[in-house]
Amino acid sequence: MQSGDKDRVGLHSVWVWSVVLIGSAVAIWLAPSVAWLAKPPVDWVLPIADVTNQITEVIVNVAKPAFRFIGSVFAIPMEALQGLLQLLPWPATIALFAALAWVAAGWKLMVFTVLALFYMVLTGYWSPSMNTLGTVLISIPLALLLGFGLAVVTYQSPRVNQVVQPLLDFMQTVPTFAYLIPIMLLFGFGPVVGVVASAIYACPPMVRNMIVGLQQVPEEVIESGRMSGATPLQLFWQVRIPNAMSTIMVGVNQATMAALSMVIIAAIIGSSADIGWEVLNQMRKARFGESLIAGLVIALFAMVLDRISLGFTDRGRAVERQHAPTITRVTPWLVAAIVVMGSFVFAPQLTWLSVWPEGWVFYPADVINDALKQLTADYAAVMKSIKNTALFYYLLPIRIGFSKAISPFSWGFALETWMVQGYALVCALLCVVATWRYSWKVGVGIVITATLLWFGMTGIPWIVFIAVVSTLAWQVAGWRVGITSVLAWMFMVLTGIWQQAMVSVAMCLAAVLVCLLFGGALGIWASRNDRVSSIIRPINDTLQSMPLFVILIPFLMFFQIGEFTSFLAIIAYAIVPCIRYTEHGLRNVPETTVEAAVSIGCTPRQLLWNVKLPLALPQIMLGLNQTVMFALAMLVITALVGSKGLGQSVYIALSNSDAGQGLVAGFSMAFIAIVADRVLQGWSLRRQRELGLVQ
Amino acid sequence: MQHRTHLRSSAIALGFALGLSSIATAQAAVPESDEPIKLAMNEWTGQHISTQVAGEILKNMGYNVEYVTAGYYPQMQALEDNTVSATLEIWSSNIGEHYDNALASGNVVEVGDLGLEPAETWFYNDAAKEACPGLPAFEALNDCVQAFANAETFPQGRLVDYPADWGTTNVDRLAALGLDYTSAPAGSEGALVAEIQGADARSEPLLVMFWSPHWLHAVVDLHPVELPAYEDGCYEDASVGVNPNATFDCDWQRGYIKKMAWKGMADKWPTAAKFLENYTLTNADQIPMMNAIDQNGEKLEEVVAAWVADNEATWKPWVEAASQ
Repeated sequence: MQSGDKDRVGLHSVWVWSVVLIGSAVAIWLAPSVAWLAKPPVDWVLPIADVTNQITEVIVNVAKPAFRFIGSVFAIPMEALQGLLQLLPWPATIALFAALAWVAAGWKLMVFTVLALFYMVLTGYWSPSMNTLGTVLISIPLALLLGFGLAVVTYQSPRVNQVVQPLLDFMQTVPTFAYLIPIMLLFGFGPVVGVVASAIYACPPMVRNMIVGLQQVPEEVIESGRMSGATPLQLFWQVRIPNAMSTIMVGVNQATMAALSMVIIAAIIGSSADIGWEVLNQMRKARFGESLIAGLVIALFAMVLDRISLGFTDRGRAVERQHAPTITRVTPWLVAAIVVMGSFVFAPQLTWLSVWPEGWVFYPADVINDALKQLTADYAAVMKSIKNTALFYYLLPIRIGFSKAISPFSWGFALETWMVQGYALVCALLCVVATWRYSWKVGVGIVITATLLWFGMTGIPWIVFIAVVSTLAWQVAGWRVGITSVLAWMFMVLTGIWQQAMVSVAMCLAAVLVCLLFGGALGIWASRNDRVSSIIRPINDTLQSMPLFVILIPFLMFFQIGEFTSFLAIIAYAIVPCIRYTEHGLRNVPETTVEAAVSIGCTPRQLLWNVKLPLALPQIMLGLNQTVMFALAMLVITALVGSKGLGQSVYIALSNSDAGQGLVAGFSMAFIAIVADRVLQGWSLRRQRELGLVQ
Repeated sequence: MQHRTHLRSSAIALGFALGLSSIATAQAAVPESDEPIKLAMNEWTGQHISTQVAGEILKNMGYNVEYVTAGYYPQMQALEDNTVSATLEIWSSNIGEHYDNALASGNVVEVGDLGLEPAETWFYNDAAKEACPGLPAFEALNDCVQAFANAETFPQGRLVDYPADWGTTNVDRLAALGLDYTSAPAGSEGALVAEIQGADARSEPLLVMFWSPHWLHAVVDLHPVELPAYEDGCYEDASVGVNPNATFDCDWQRGYIKKMAWKGMADKWPTAAKFLENYTLTNADQIPMMNAIDQNGEKLEEVVAAWVADNEATWKPWVEAASQ
């Protein structure tokens, strides 16, 4: 789009929107009398699920031997590692990790590592914890390697990128449950299935961050590398990678978190007595104390592994390490070696070195459970009013619209004709004022929002929804995205899953808006205040790696099964990327730019809104992309607390061992994610162009 | 007796070796193979008990037994190739098509009922008893719809239902019985349990689809609603049951709990396979053990060992019958 064409294009858009809006009005007017407009008819449904089932069966039969072989290859290092970790007395393992932490990032991390690992000893979870460590030490490197390789072949070629991006969306949003059964058919029953599933789910953040990081390396830096005669290989390893390192490390962090969050999913298969299995058993009993104590192990692993890898890539520390005297470099390992030998020597006499005695176990589960019960009983009324307020005034209008949400029971009065007319009048007025005061686009936005809120996601005729969303996609991000959008939504119509999809869209939309608002604010705050940042980081890590059902147990006790609990669950998980990427983006704005802005007299407010936020837009948009992905990924978890929609469809398919139906629901989630992502990216690119940040 | 036991001391766990020795010597062929018989340990305590009781008796018979943690659905895959040799508590209520698919594979066989008698029906809590004095008669539910309604189901009452993927028939049942209630699927067992415990803590009336035996009955008082008794044909034939125009106008059909095994067991460990066929465990056996573990925090292994030691008269005949 060139600036000369702007007026023509603007006029063109006005026509497009007029047609869409008038068409929508007609469709809405006709919907009550024309059945297929209101609800997609059943006989339109194509047997896509059945076909998928047949294809899966063929693939499984052909590819089984090869996959079984790969599986057995993976099993070797994993079993060896698990065996070794079980064999080592706990002081030895702790000493080795402590030394690693010390070398990576100094004594503070060492103390944290020792405390974190000792927690596992103290609570009596050492053995299952080590089994988990054995699997994640395979799955994380696997995810990172896979991610690294994919990013390297992708970042320079837009063509490859076009294939890889949707692939990543699929990997992140198609729920693991949907393909757990097919990959189990391929690899056979065993822990390897868990490793593979974890790696598939965990590698996309790595790829995405690496691509953004590599693409953002300034051209001048590469130019200067070239001029000093660097070979392409040197250019890659010594110029591009170091310059992109801080963004790549966000990817490493996110991949680590994702791999650990999969521990619980992998445990569903069973087969290795790990901490995920432990948590799963406790969750089934809805024992909050027990599952919290066990779940914390996973979060602690996430933090330790993440901080160690972060320490090793910190350039300042790397230089320090190289210049440190030999004695400082060797000491940690020397101490560790002494502890390892010592623990082996004394293990036969002091049995508590290999097996922590039961009497010494610290396990405050009952205290936690009693406290939770007390809290539930004491604040029942408060909880109920919080829930009802959110439900009546926010969640229900988005899902079923004002037209159905307003009733004497919810809002305290019934809808009367004058109210409906008033609503229409106010919206029309707003639209006119906005068009006159700002631009016709704001006016159209108001009309669309008002209509959606009136009918709700599930009440709006499907054809209207598809037309509006796809036109938006087209106008914002080009005709390709527009067509993608039409095809994606039609897939849901033709597989007969439209209603469930709309329930899920409403839920995710509600949650993502909240995440954006609060997550963005927290991210901005954290970017300006180191103390806030250091407090938020472990909370974020915990939210992302702690099995979420654990957090859901108190929510369930307070708010009962249903929509509100699901809503909170999605926010708890999906808000993290918003916070993290906003902070990261703002902190990465070049110091020189900030100084220049300050020197020409920018106020702090101007500095944030007009300089920092626009410059950080790529990272913030990546954060929003991840928030949408995470929100959709959470649908499967929220189905466990009784939310309806696509997540529930996946489980129903799973229990019927209907892989096709599961994949159809899974693909629908991926399609929603892809459309949302492309529209956001298109918008972001447009903004950046308007600001002159990219060509 | 004491003397002989002593000779075999290292091979057999001490607690229940007593009395076993005579059997062990009677059949020299056992074990037919030293390879471990792998028994699946699923996600709930009751199943752990059913499995380990059988496992400990098998160990007494001289077999090498290994307990393999396995997910409830995934284990069906593992049964096909002896990654898991047998699984002993398959509930008809929630296994779905995995059961039929496993049998259809030709590699898995069913080895009879476990003997536990599951009861699945609607339950209500103490607060509901107060709010709705007409209970347990199901007709009374319509008099206290308000007490059971919440923000998401209003103006209808709420029946907290099985997760949608367990295949519940309560939507039809509510309609057939003319009850002004909505089914709210719970999503998972954990959610059901949390819901019941939460309602108990808040003293809020609750109507919930649940089952027994389940450890929760030892913590929260739940009372079954008296639904019209199940009759054959009630699920398919509208004319059967209290409502002449609807199916499902009756209580839930009593389900069954099966044992399943890898097909090759009968060749590899014939005596063990026969024993598993004979093996049964009743509600009266399982529930006290379940409470001992889940409520009193006793160890699974110790509780099982104690049962095996105390109930020799019960299980000895199964072993003897298998050895012939």
